[in-house]
Amino acid sequence: MPIQVDVAARRARACKAFMAQVHSTTAKEGITPSTLHALKLKLVALAKRSDLFPLADFAMPQAHGRSHPLLVEEDDGHGLYLSISLPGKEAAPHDHGIWCANAAISGRERHVFYRRTDDGKKVGSAEIVKVGEVVIEPGTGMVMADHDIHSTVVIGDRPAVGLALYGYALARFPSVTWFHPEFTSVRATPSRRHAA
Amino acid sequence: MAPATKTFQVTIRNSGQTIACAADRTILQAAVAAGVDYPYACATGNCATCISKLENGKVSLLPHADAALGKAQLKSGLTLACRARPRSDVTINWLARRAS
Repeated sequence: MPIQVDVAARRARACKAFMAQVHSTTAKEGITPSTLHALKLKLVALAKRSDLFPLADFAMPQAHGRSHPLLVEEDDGHGLYLSISLPGKEAAPHDHGIWCANAAISGRERHVFYRRTDDGKKVGSAEIVKVGEVVIEPGTGMVMADHDIHSTVVIGDRPAVGLALYGYALARFPSVTWFHPEFTSVRATPSRRHAA
Repeated sequence: MAPATKTFQVTIRNSGQTIACAADRTILQAAVAAGVDYPYACATGNCATCISKLENGKVSLLPHADAALGKAQLKSGLTLACRARPRSDVTINWLARRAS
């Protein structure tokens, strides 16, 4: 009888191989629209291997959203996470200051993209306009450059489970800038670049 | 004609103000609209900048991230002003974290 290879070990190997591909891609060309697109395609391919990511291996959120580290590199390295968000979980338009890619394993999440239109001279105030939208569902993904602005919301009645690759680990994130059209305001959370 | 949305009184201990908050609005939305300088950043339950002590009253919470408000914090009477909709008159006190 063949030996069952432990899913966690296979998952760890797959994540390590994925990250090696990420570095191989960016080492040659840096972070460009073209390489970000390539990273998205690789992440979508990894997310399609749903046998590596059984939900039983990942605790559901106590509230409505939780990120599980899959492979977090040291220092200024990247972070790869499995995120679980319940229906209705949302994030206002924000710029998290570092590139990212997302790919769905199950469920659906809407990402809306924006462009800032004011000159930034009035402290605490900002205006943005919607420039695009995409629904991430199994077999699809999205990618954003360092200062792109997006909002997210889980749609439908199932949790959105997906993979997220960030240029920096979440614990070492730069300041995140949040935009609130309702208040015509902008606020920022402190940088974690020196905290971890 | 649709029934009018119920409105509750929200007392914000830090600023000493009492404001009206409709049951379909969050405490943060009502506070900002009333000109209260309530600390916030994401306003969608992700960052915990608006984390507050619910001193009196009842609220219902919109979806939020575990990292912003955990079960134990909720049990100890903390809430997120950006996710909390009043279900009674409320007294609330924001904690120290302030966004830039």
